[in-house]
Amino acid sequence: MISQVFILSSKGDHLIYKDFRGEAGCDAVNKFYEMVTTLTGDQPPVVMKHKELHYVHIRQGGLYWVATTKADSSPFTIIEFLNRLTALIKDYCGCLSEKSVRMNFALIYEVLDEVVDFGYIQTTSTDILKNFIQTEAVSAKPLSLFDLSNVGLFGADTQQNKVAPSVAATRPIMSSRGEQGGKNEIFVDVIERISVVIGANGVLMKADIEGEIRVKCYMPSCSEMRIGLNEEFSIGKSQLRGYGAAVRVDECSFHQAVRLDEFDTYRILKLCPSQGEQTVMQYQLCDDLPTAPPFRLFSSIERDTGGRLLIYLKLRCDLPPKRSVLHLNNNPALPLFSYSLFSSLSQELSSPDQSAELQPQNKAVHWEIPRFPGGAQLSALFKLEVPGLSSASLQEVGSISLSFELPKYTCTGLQIRFLRLSPIQPGASQRWVRYVTHSDSYTIRI
Amino acid sequence: MLCFHVCAGEIFELKAELNSDKKEKKKEAVKKVIASMTVGKDVSALFPDVVNCMQTDNLELKKLVYLYLMNYAKSQPDMAIMAVNTFVKDCEDPNPLIRALAVRTMGCIRVDKITEYLCEPLRKCLKDEDPYVRKTAAVCVAKLHDINAQLVEDQGFLDTLKDLISDSNPMVVANAVAALSEIAESHPNSNLLDLNPQSINKLLTALNECTEWGQIFILDCLANYAPRDDRESQSICERVTPRLSHANSAVVLSAVKVLMKFMEMLPKDLDYYGTLLKKLAPPLVTLLSAEPELQYVALRNINLIVQKRPEILKHEMKVFFVKYNDPIYVKLEKLDIMIRLASQANIAQVLAELKEYATEVDVDFVRKAVRAIGRCAIKVEQSAERCVSTLLDLIQTKVNYVVQEAIVVIKDIFRKYPNKYESVIATLCENLDSLDEPEARAAMIWIVGEYAERIDNADELLESFLEGFHDESTQVQLQLLTAIVKLFLKKPTETQELVQQVLSLATQDSDNPDLRDRGYIYWRLLSTDPVAAKEVVLAEKPLISEETDLIEPTLLEELICHIGTLASVYHKPPSAFVEGSRGVMHKRLPARTGSLVSVIPSHTLSFFLGGDIGGSAAMGAGFGAVPAVMPASLNAPMGGGLGDLFDLGGGVGMPLGAYIPPKTVWLPAMKAKGLEISGTFARRAGVIQMELTLTNKAMSVMTDFAIQFNRNSFGLAPAGPLQVLSPLSPNQTIEVSLPLSTVGPVMKMEPLNNLQVAVKNNIDVFYFSCQYPISMLFVEDGKMERQVFLATWKDIPNENESQFQIKDCHLNSDAASNKLQASNIFTIAKRTVEGQDMLYMSIKLSNGIWVLAELRVQTGNPNYTISVKCRAPEVSQCVFQCCEAVLKN
Repeated sequence: MISQVFILSSKGDHLIYKDFRGEAGCDAVNKFYEMVTTLTGDQPPVVMKHKELHYVHIRQGGLYWVATTKADSSPFTIIEFLNRLTALIKDYCGCLSEKSVRMNFALIYEVLDEVVDFGYIQTTSTDILKNFIQTEAVSAKPLSLFDLSNVGLFGADTQQNKVAPSVAATRPIMSSRGEQGGKNEIFVDVIERISVVIGANGVLMKADIEGEIRVKCYMPSCSEMRIGLNEEFSIGKSQLRGYGAAVRVDECSFHQAVRLDEFDTYRILKLCPSQGEQTVMQYQLCDDLPTAPPFRLFSSIERDTGGRLLIYLKLRCDLPPKRSVLHLNNNPALPLFSYSLFSSLSQELSSPDQSAELQPQNKAVHWEIPRFPGGAQLSALFKLEVPGLSSASLQEVGSISLSFELPKYTCTGLQIRFLRLSPIQPGASQRWVRYVTHSDSYTIRI
Repeated sequence: MLCFHVCAGEIFELKAELNSDKKEKKKEAVKKVIASMTVGKDVSALFPDVVNCMQTDNLELKKLVYLYLMNYAKSQPDMAIMAVNTFVKDCEDPNPLIRALAVRTMGCIRVDKITEYLCEPLRKCLKDEDPYVRKTAAVCVAKLHDINAQLVEDQGFLDTLKDLISDSNPMVVANAVAALSEIAESHPNSNLLDLNPQSINKLLTALNECTEWGQIFILDCLANYAPRDDRESQSICERVTPRLSHANSAVVLSAVKVLMKFMEMLPKDLDYYGTLLKKLAPPLVTLLSAEPELQYVALRNINLIVQKRPEILKHEMKVFFVKYNDPIYVKLEKLDIMIRLASQANIAQVLAELKEYATEVDVDFVRKAVRAIGRCAIKVEQSAERCVSTLLDLIQTKVNYVVQEAIVVIKDIFRKYPNKYESVIATLCENLDSLDEPEARAAMIWIVGEYAERIDNADELLESFLEGFHDESTQVQLQLLTAIVKLFLKKPTETQELVQQVLSLATQDSDNPDLRDRGYIYWRLLSTDPVAAKEVVLAEKPLISEETDLIEPTLLEELICHIGTLASVYHKPPSAFVEGSRGVMHKRLPARTGSLVSVIPSHTLSFFLGGDIGGSAAMGAGFGAVPAVMPASLNAPMGGGLGDLFDLGGGVGMPLGAYIPPKTVWLPAMKAKGLEISGTFARRAGVIQMELTLTNKAMSVMTDFAIQFNRNSFGLAPAGPLQVLSPLSPNQTIEVSLPLSTVGPVMKMEPLNNLQVAVKNNIDVFYFSCQYPISMLFVEDGKMERQVFLATWKDIPNENESQFQIKDCHLNSDAASNKLQASNIFTIAKRTVEGQDMLYMSIKLSNGIWVLAELRVQTGNPNYTISVKCRAPEVSQCVFQCCEAVLKN
């Protein structure tokens, strides 16, 4: 049972405060901010306790979203609820920011009132809520197609914003009520996160993919949507059908609104999308990737005669040549040197648009590659001056981690075959299907 | 709250706007008021003006006004009454949204006067035709109950709420269940929810239809149900299983809770049991791909599940490997689970990972990784060698904190595998100078002392530590003292001076009582009896156990019942952090049909031995090893003057007399021609005595008394004749005490402590039977050694364990322990977990049977729980009765 819900700005200003059960005072808000800002690094911030009150919070859009409880409630429920609440408010207000929350406080109070009653969560579905909510959203940002300051598609900045009008996805779902010319748009995103561990000997030690299909719908009247996946999509090891280009996942879970009657035979997901954003399907694949991991790295580390540490890295991208990678960051971690001061780093990189720098606070060298075409190979040589370098300390050079984004690519090979809406939407409706793969944790050990 | 004073001008302005005729202006004004309210400004002065805006047909404005009312009604109860009429009217509004809104808001106004007006509208709304209104009204009953519980009962709302469980709308059902669950918590004994197979069936049906949040309420409610048999529990499990693939992790966890609980009832050989185990793994794994916040909470829960049923996730080791971008708190939890899952099958993989982690950047994480390698060595014997060589590799890196951590765990490995890896000592000694943390120094000193005979320059090494003796922490000082004494006993000729030096440092120059006392003990020991000293100091130490930091099983059981709640994150029972009466009921897993609940699985008993055998998890105490064992083993050879100094383990209590039950009439005069016998049994100075009072109620003199026992369970027999020397004249009473022996013929009686007695006098022979308290058979040397206790407890099969409740006992655990000790029930160890004291006790019967017991005392709870374990389970009942009698007197 939730006792209070409040939203704080990153500076601790009260944006929203709602008490559901009258069991805790509103000094809890300041207490929370005091606690969360004095946490040390290794203390888990998720659940905090002060006297009889337990605080559960998440951070979204630069804001603290906090719920308190006095009973032995479920933190899962509360965290899931807070996540849904942020999604709801994002749907209603267009985007999540201090400004949008401030401007729409009346709306948010109204939403909170419908969503939680006496600490019991009632519903978080926009379909049900739209019957009750009266207040109009105030859009925090004037809509302008020329405003490209916020081009984040999935949280990361991309330079490929021609793929989809990213601004379009940050407008409130309900505001179209006023302006009749609002666009009928639907976005279907296939997002995958890949985590890979490649051992020192080049052997693939672990490879996982977590993926989801997310639908963001702006259509006021869409009774049914059919999403067709690859026909040879299979779940679990037993279901593999012959050889072919099967797309396989280990586990799959669906949003409760999804009807699966055509899924088994035709791999079609049927649903009535509610307005706003929802995750329709989530899936995982462990260990058995259909293709080789996208990057391979060859490294050698030695000590030269002058006592300098030489790190030679050669990075190869195994993607098909048409694809390219954006924003590759490469972090060889060097924990050994935490005690010694780096005197200098000199580098030789294979092309001028790359950059490399030493980050003493992270004890790492940061190598950034803005664009990396498939099939290409890049190399770099770093020379580090380390006082007191011994041969034993070469063992201490840690692993290399990569973070990147692969647009228009899924590692599992999952594709949306078709996207059909019924009844046929009046007027111009636009359907967008986007694919992207992010690195979650891509580690290469040396 | 920070209350800013709103300047009068602003209030005045708002007042004017609120009273404006234009709706839009009014609305904007109310919005401004609420904005001020949110940031903590006091706008209560506007109460009447805002209430005036209430009568409007604009829903948006109405909602805003209600929002204001909820906030300020409590501080302005008199004015809040003004709003009542509108509320009552709104409850009759044709628009269901307005009806629901009015009921919802009224429930939130926590003013007593208003609640009276609430009853009638609420009654109507509970039966409203619109489900939205009904579901809101259901919650409102819980609100009202919170304000005035009596009113809710008097008005019969609870019955209406119960009816709503069968409502056609799943939303209504879910809210009714949630409200009833909460109300039921404050009346632990009421049968409000009345879960029976029919209502469970209804809930399971509603489960499929309602929203995800409603499913959580229903699943949590199901978890409180106790199925009648394994059949029913299987059918519930089958219907709950589909929830495991839900996208909402809270639904998944609530389902896991129900399954973990009901699984307890399924027989393990059932096919379905195995299927269920397999089904539990994937949803748990899926949780690990969520946001870090959820991951952390999930990992805390998985930690519990892995301890309870390791088989569920035994093949999923890889998902717990850390990712470089996990937050540190997630990494540490993952590491913990990795160790719990480590087994011979996957140890190579785990070790390779741990070694990688030891080269990471984060110091805390690296330390824990190194420690984890040590724990693997202790847990999986086959891997010990590989672990040791991994640790040596890490020591070679010379990274300060890695080396120190490695030395600490290597010490534990030596404790587990003595005389096996001594070859590494040389490497360790090379790093002596770099150790600056007390724990690592103490570990190193322990190693040097323990293996002094194999280290040529042990004396030099220890001497070097001695130089800065006073600057060391207590831990290091104590360890140094013990190490040097060990060295002296091993190489007496060369180290006389060193030992003198350390003893004088410890006894004369230190003001730390622990150190001083330990110094004195060694000193006297060495001077009085070097042979005994050797036996004591160089005694074989118990091996440390592999499972050092498992959660204590009774707690674990309770936590499993709370999976998915805060308790599972804190790893504490809800009673430890939830205030008041709510939630103090201890939940228990249901018993598997046909078997007793095993309260202490033997493997975790190692706990009560505390630091003695704890590994590095209990390191602080870990070094107490040698001295803590000492008192027990010293008692025998020493005695005398030092005896009282050493007798610390026995509990320092006042000398209390053993419990003697009051005399009861065994043979009434009516039945024995005028002879009345009453009596009792006592144990005095190790002798069992039957104390008899003989009264002559007849008219003639009685002479020639004699007594005989029938064969009995413990071979009790008179050790001498009944000493009635003079004849017993009419109305005369005589007290006789008859010493008993336990060497008589044995026959098992029913009840066990029944004794049939024949008394003869000049008139006739009379028979009677009496029951003796079994406590008089408890012998004085019934104090078991800790290690023996541990081994014995493990050894006795769990079926022999039985559990009893002792009600209304108001002693604290120390007083209880003293009382029991006076009756030869010896407390061997005591442990305190979450405010619950656990006393571990041993008893020896005159015929050599050992009885082990565990007494749990919860502070503030007059009901104790006692578990009795014995190879002869028949005596348990008698022993329990005795303990109860002893404690209550």
